[in-house]
Amino acid sequence: MQILQYLINGIALGSVYALIATGFSLIFNVLKFSNFSHGALMTLSAFSGYFIAAGNGWGLVPTILVSVLTGAAVSLFGEFVAFRRILTHNTSPVYFFVSSITLGTLYEGIVVLKVGANFYNYPRFFGKPYRIAGLFVARSDIIIFCISAAALLLLAYMIRKTKTGRALRSVSFDRDTASLMGINVTRTIQFAFIVSGALAGLAGVFLGINYTLYPTMGSIVVKGFIASVIGGLGSLPGAIIGAMLLGILETTLISIIGSGYAPVFTFVIMLVFLLVRPRGIAGSNIQEKA
Amino acid sequence: MSLYSHILTQILITVVSVSGVFVLTGMTGMFSLGQAAFMAIGAYTSGILVTKLAMPIIVAWPAAVLLAVLVGLIVGLPTVRLRRDYISLVTLGFGEAITALLNRATTITGGASGLTGIPKRTTLLIAFVSAAAVVTLISFFKSSKYGRQCIAVRSDELAAKSMGINVPRVKMIAFLISVAVTAYGGCLYAFYTAYVDPTLFGWQRSAEWIIMVFFGGVNSLTGSILSTFVLSGLPEVLRFLQSYRAIIYAVLVLLVINFRPSGMLGEWELTPKHIKRLFKRPKGARAQEVD
Amino acid sequence: MKKVLSLVLMLAMLLGMSTVFATEGPINIGCLQDISGPTSSLGNMVYGGVKWAVDEINAAGGVNGRMINVILYDTKGDVTEAINAYTRAVTSDGVSAIVGPPVANIGLAVAPESENNDVPILGFAIDKNCQLKPDGTPYKNMFAFQPAAHQQSAIMGEFAIKNGFTKFGVVYNEGNAYSVSLQAPFIETVTAGGAEVAQVVTYTKNDKDFRTLLQPILNADVEAVFIPNYTQELILIAQQIRSMGFEGALICGLDACPPFNTLFGEPADGIYFINNIDGTEPAIIDMVNNVKTATGIDATNKFFLGYDVANILKGIFEEVGTNPADVRDAVEKVTDYKGLTGNITIDPATHMPKGLEMVMFKYEGSTPIMLERYAAD
Repeated sequence: MQILQYLINGIALGSVYALIATGFSLIFNVLKFSNFSHGALMTLSAFSGYFIAAGNGWGLVPTILVSVLTGAAVSLFGEFVAFRRILTHNTSPVYFFVSSITLGTLYEGIVVLKVGANFYNYPRFFGKPYRIAGLFVARSDIIIFCISAAALLLLAYMIRKTKTGRALRSVSFDRDTASLMGINVTRTIQFAFIVSGALAGLAGVFLGINYTLYPTMGSIVVKGFIASVIGGLGSLPGAIIGAMLLGILETTLISIIGSGYAPVFTFVIMLVFLLVRPRGIAGSNIQEKA
Repeated sequence: MSLYSHILTQILITVVSVSGVFVLTGMTGMFSLGQAAFMAIGAYTSGILVTKLAMPIIVAWPAAVLLAVLVGLIVGLPTVRLRRDYISLVTLGFGEAITALLNRATTITGGASGLTGIPKRTTLLIAFVSAAAVVTLISFFKSSKYGRQCIAVRSDELAAKSMGINVPRVKMIAFLISVAVTAYGGCLYAFYTAYVDPTLFGWQRSAEWIIMVFFGGVNSLTGSILSTFVLSGLPEVLRFLQSYRAIIYAVLVLLVINFRPSGMLGEWELTPKHIKRLFKRPKGARAQEVD
Repeated sequence: MKKVLSLVLMLAMLLGMSTVFATEGPINIGCLQDISGPTSSLGNMVYGGVKWAVDEINAAGGVNGRMINVILYDTKGDVTEAINAYTRAVTSDGVSAIVGPPVANIGLAVAPESENNDVPILGFAIDKNCQLKPDGTPYKNMFAFQPAAHQQSAIMGEFAIKNGFTKFGVVYNEGNAYSVSLQAPFIETVTAGGAEVAQVVTYTKNDKDFRTLLQPILNADVEAVFIPNYTQELILIAQQIRSMGFEGALICGLDACPPFNTLFGEPADGIYFINNIDGTEPAIIDMVNNVKTATGIDATNKFFLGYDVANILKGIFEEVGTNPADVRDAVEKVTDYKGLTGNITIDPATHMPKGLEMVMFKYEGSTPIMLERYAAD
């Protein structure tokens, strides 16, 4: 019974990680770099959801909408100020890394300017948890799980079945060839950033609901990073599987050895994992292109 | 100690750590988000050896650096063969793990309350001499055979491999050098502030160092040092702007990356030749006139 | 190269300017607080209180005709920043005294550094190691103006025993010096009182989902849980433990003081907490209202700590002048100062207050109810 409860907690945690990991993976997929501004983007959109919607007594749906739209818009802006020139001038991809960290600092700085280091709490959108056969299942967890699943299914459909999705896949495979085939590479990359930003906004609201809003909440993006490595860098289904595994793994570790040593074990497991299966669960082996 | 020498000492200690990051990131193109954790190992080990075991500094500091290199070897072995992104991830996890251990081992490290009672030994002179020595050694390394191999690996790993360069080995050497240097920076730091706690060594600090290297010029040690001075001094100068500081800093770095991606100095290095030329300028000027 | 040179010159000029301004004139007090970092809600409150008191003093003619000038230094909750700011305050800004932060790590970092100067730091760090060297003698410049961790925990422990709780759980953040310093004395007090601590759970700053961690405490069937953590984590833990069906008492430190009740978002019944002030006293209510109308800030306990210390400093300046070393000697001798946070007497042997009172409260719905006063000893 106890184990079942931990499993439920793990899946609840994992479904938020999955949103983070997919948004993160999407950019990695297209541009082959780890977007460290993703976390701060979540913070920024979650806070705008708070100040524009939830703080004025609007309900859950408007809050999510505001955050998702902010996320998408800011992400597009970020692409323009931090990544576009690097891309068009074909400077070394290592600059993406520095750019993304700095962009994150910028977003966080803007949030701090508005709220200081104070934390905020969304109003309670949900009532008491369900109690099913001795197990506690929070209503928020169920709803978050459903919305995440729906969003990710929609994304999967978009990538697999639509024209834009196909363009996205071809750009991620080889930018230059895609461009020769008549695909507007810049538009496609912008599209990826919009989707990734929308996912960040969604994840931000959910994090805020579960864990309060505070300017450094974006540091949880590290979990998305780890999840996408477990799943295989750049693979979207991999990111989701990795996130679920990480959620369950964390709750299990915590229940067995407590929280103190959990980072140590996570590190050791990660190290072993990289040794045994460096390309992740679902990933193909991405080589540094010459 | 006056405010200036105080800030200068701190900047010089940062120069030591950033020089380590220069070898790793600037020269070899690897990103370590756990570099600050190696600083923590240096700081804590030397601090504990001196305060708890009453060892002399002359033994404690090298021991701390040695331990850090040993740990670096363990972290590095599985990772140098992988894609570069993994190194940043593994080192990030490593940093978290070290912080967790420091918090847990309360009896040895003082836990969250930090390690207190470290004697204050790092003076401005020691910091200056250390920084100068480290910078000189690294500039030697840069122009050595291995240094040039590092740069080759950064520019094009595949081509470097096909030229017969043992890529994992070169990466490992760069990683260990940077670990040793950063750990030494940790020793200097601990014996300067006389207090360390686990929150000082998060990944944000490592990221800050990487930004300093890029800001100065990826391939220029002179640039890294200069940008350390500028970027560490900047927050002090901008103190009156309070909360706008972080934003100005970020905008500045974004501007440099966008419009001068090779950093402030690009590939330019200050060499003894330049200095010599600086002092001989009158003569050179006259020579030009004659021409 | 020119750009770089001009930058360096600008840096030197700006640094130089700050020293020129530090001449005779007003009395300078440094206020070394976290204004933009993780504990800035505390730092801003202390600064607000100091500022409020100083404005009152200056409006009434200052200290023997001299105005008091508060210089604010933002530590950003970072010890390196704090040491820099401290050095700036004592070496170039010429402050007569510093109002320190209510944050242990900053106090611990500044303490050894402060030995080289004569400027007293009147802080609120409840970890006694901020005031006492390892050998048990006090750092000459470090003072605390609220009861120490072991005193606060003893009060909470005594209170819990007195109210008939016999089986406890404890949840604390092992990465937070404040949280760590409170848990051990509490466990000591309640065990000495014959109660059982059935389950102690630690977490780290990365934990946000506490349900799995809290499960053992629920399984142990405890009557009360001691949660000495910063407000934000406290809210998460309290929300999650309630959502798991725990109906017992939650005993909290200063972090559950208002505005906790408004941030919590649901009724806070069964939550007990300790406070420096009794918010039902007329003098306090008056001031809270005045501050609210003038600045829009909801003054909390840290505000009153800052307010009291600024007024203590005013008395000292009037008595011994503004030479930092004289001020330091006078701070050591503060006896029976009647402030809003209680009657403050500094013990010269520990540099911490003696017999300062604290008040236990509980929430009914979202309203704090005053229960009992305790003297810290």
